[in-house]
Amino acid sequence: MEGKKFSIKKTAFYLLAAGLLFLALIPILWSVLLSFKTNSEIVNAPLSLPDSLSFDNYQRALDTINFPRMYANTLILVVVSVFFSICLTFMSSFAIARLTYKSDRVADILYLYLLIGVAIPVYVLLFPIYRIDSLMGILGTRLGLILPYIAVNISFNTLIFVGFLREFPSELEEAAIIDGCGLIQLCTRVVIPVMKPTFVTIVIFNAVYVFNEYPFASTFIQDTSMNTISLMTSMFKGQYSMDYSGIIAASLLIMVPELIFYVLMQRDIISGMTDGAVKG
Amino acid sequence: MHWLSTKKAKIGLLAPTLAVYTLFIIVPVIVAVYYSFTEYSGLGKATFTGLENYFRMFQDRLFLIALKNTFLVLCASVVFLMVGSFLIALIMNVDFKGNGLFKMVLFAPYVIAPIIIGIIWGYILNPNYGLLNSFLRAVGLDALAIEWIGGTTWTPLALAIVFTWQVLGFHSTIFLSGLRTIPRDLYEAASIDGASGIQKVFRITLPMLKETIMINVVLVITGVFKIYELVVQLTGGGPAHQSELLTSYMYFTVFQSRRYGYGMAIAVAVLVCSVLGSFVYIQITARKRREGK
Repeated sequence: MEGKKFSIKKTAFYLLAAGLLFLALIPILWSVLLSFKTNSEIVNAPLSLPDSLSFDNYQRALDTINFPRMYANTLILVVVSVFFSICLTFMSSFAIARLTYKSDRVADILYLYLLIGVAIPVYVLLFPIYRIDSLMGILGTRLGLILPYIAVNISFNTLIFVGFLREFPSELEEAAIIDGCGLIQLCTRVVIPVMKPTFVTIVIFNAVYVFNEYPFASTFIQDTSMNTISLMTSMFKGQYSMDYSGIIAASLLIMVPELIFYVLMQRDIISGMTDGAVKG
Repeated sequence: MHWLSTKKAKIGLLAPTLAVYTLFIIVPVIVAVYYSFTEYSGLGKATFTGLENYFRMFQDRLFLIALKNTFLVLCASVVFLMVGSFLIALIMNVDFKGNGLFKMVLFAPYVIAPIIIGIIWGYILNPNYGLLNSFLRAVGLDALAIEWIGGTTWTPLALAIVFTWQVLGFHSTIFLSGLRTIPRDLYEAASIDGASGIQKVFRITLPMLKETIMINVVLVITGVFKIYELVVQLTGGGPAHQSELLTSYMYFTVFQSRRYGYGMAIAVAVLVCSVLGSFVYIQITARKRREGK
């Protein structure tokens, strides 16, 4: 397969790749097409192109959904829970990976204890946390969602952080201590700068989870003014279930910022999410 | 690092994580297990009924349907995803123009909110005006224009197809990183020995990827036990709970019919299935780490 020489093999390969690319894109392309059709066109002439290029559906979606509020609601949850889950798990992972204990097994037991969560599907936690939240008087508040979001991410973060911190060269650490670094300086000046890629992986993993989260949000949020993106999408569909073209336009509008972010960050996101899953 | 290992430092670093984690992960699991041995309607006190909820599960027709559906989705997804993502990874592993775009597009569904994926696919799978059936009818394949969603038979297949679309790029990327660890000389040596392309795949690539394949299978298994939004959007579990999965049926039992005790027993069943899957996963990765050192 060299030079400009025509090669059947090469052409076939490109056709295959292009075909798969098209197949993967069909749901999105189809949605874009539908978003310009009217409801009766969608139902009565499914395969036809829209009669006219009108943005009515988008206008309707924009009029109904309070986008700034929905984004603000979601981003508050993302920023606060990701910030705290990373701070907390970095601290605890550092203690597990780098500090010494009376018995070597203490660190291992703590580590395994914090890993149990990897195996627990969130659906098991929904009702118990609902009870705990209401006992604490935080059911339906942002705090009532943020705390479980932090908790759900702890196991994964511990897995990644401890894995990295255990391999951190102790010479660097000792040199810093001899130079008079305390615990906090050691972390902020020596350890964290080296760990940027690890932090990127974890931020992406946690943020994507919270951003798209549905079961907790849909069960706990009762006040519609707190609606997150996932919740708003499904509520819109529930309320205007007959407005097919409005629903699809709204879904696309909600998806676009997320996809732009993905395209900009794709390298980090793809490697972050797969490394995270494989490293363990 | 014993200089800094003071008791105060340890407590300060560990306590916040342990508190949040224990209160919102471990305690809830204990609460779930506790309620699974009781009958509780939300009012007054829960009455202890021992294993009754667990016996009831196996006489509950709807639970068995949800179990069967979950199993069907699992089998179909494992087949679609293992074959599909391996082939896609082989393509991703070729250095061609557009490789970056190919990877980006295939991975994209993995970051889209599952709830939106459910809505979009509803417009493809709808038996009356959806793209799939409209297309099949237009090309004369009316026999294949089945009730993908909304009927009693084909929903698990439809769910597996949507789930496959959602996570295909993710599993392909995992395969891809496995492929990159296979030394090139192996292929060169095989070429010298006159092996064909297909022989190389079966004799070198697949055996070398044993561990990656296992990781992928386990991730598919645990992933299937997390499918919930797709059911909510595509069928809502209907008609008459015929298309529920274990997760959605548990949600219905707890939050709609308010049979908390029974719902928690189903939750514990889901937990056990998922833990068994993850246990294998952790075993594999732990062994990998030991070998790495």
